[in-house]
Amino acid sequence: MQMTTKKLIGALWLLLVVLTLFSAYMAEQVTPGLYSISIMAIVLAIKGRIIVDYFMELKESHVILRALMRMYFYVIPALIILVYLFPEQIATLTEL
Amino acid sequence: MTEAVLPPLSLTTNTHKIPGNMAIWAAILAEMSEFAIMFIVYFLAKVHNPVAFDEGPPKLSTVAGASNTLIMLTSSFFVVRAVIAIRENHPEKSARWLWGAVSCGVLYLIIKYFEYEWNTAQGLSTETNIFYAVYYYVTFNHLLHVAWGSAAIAWVIYRLNTGIYTQQEHEGLINVALYWHMIDLAWITIFPLLYVIR
Repeated sequence: MQMTTKKLIGALWLLLVVLTLFSAYMAEQVTPGLYSISIMAIVLAIKGRIIVDYFMELKESHVILRALMRMYFYVIPALIILVYLFPEQIATLTEL
Repeated sequence: MTEAVLPPLSLTTNTHKIPGNMAIWAAILAEMSEFAIMFIVYFLAKVHNPVAFDEGPPKLSTVAGASNTLIMLTSSFFVVRAVIAIRENHPEKSARWLWGAVSCGVLYLIIKYFEYEWNTAQGLSTETNIFYAVYYYVTFNHLLHVAWGSAAIAWVIYRLNTGIYTQQEHEGLINVALYWHMIDLAWITIFPLLYVIR
């Protein structure tokens, strides 16, 4: 049983590494656009969810803490896409 | 007439279980809120200064940013293994995994030092434009968290070695592990915002 946990944690670490290398590749090679920005936002959401659920062990724990921590990695990726899609409108709304 | 039987409450013991203790979660949520404010500042600065934020990231070292991301993720993996080891009653093994995490923290700081030096050689500073002001504010703030987080892990290693933490009682170790994961979460958000997205 414990062996399974160790294997799972190892596999998740490997997935996090692959996702990071993929992001770095995109930063260097891919022309920015909605497609690439959305992929980067989704990659961030996945990485955050893995750490919150498995490394911090919130998947089976306190419901409010889990919701708060998971929400962070819905909101920030959503903001990344919104800021890309509507920069002028957001700038107008937040003008001092 | 049969008596209606109410279903049991859906909230089980699991949904109330807190990894570590409530005090560390108060600290983690406060720190996450602090970083959230920085990220909001980033988004606002970006929409008001699109040119600076388009031209800024390509001048930074993606290699340094990606390397530090890999180092932070690996350190988090080491911390999880240290928690598993103490639960299996292997305090020496747990301390070894934690030394791995501290080494990652030190390596992160060394890379960050050379990254800042490299920036300076390119003429990039907080005065260059708003993108670099945000970059230095956020990354230096995170660097401080890595430094004191590493020191906290070193303290946990000392307590492990002196037998204070056991298989039955190791809440302090769990708390520091959770705090370290929070530092990792902040960095995995900083990396795409400052180094990748343009």
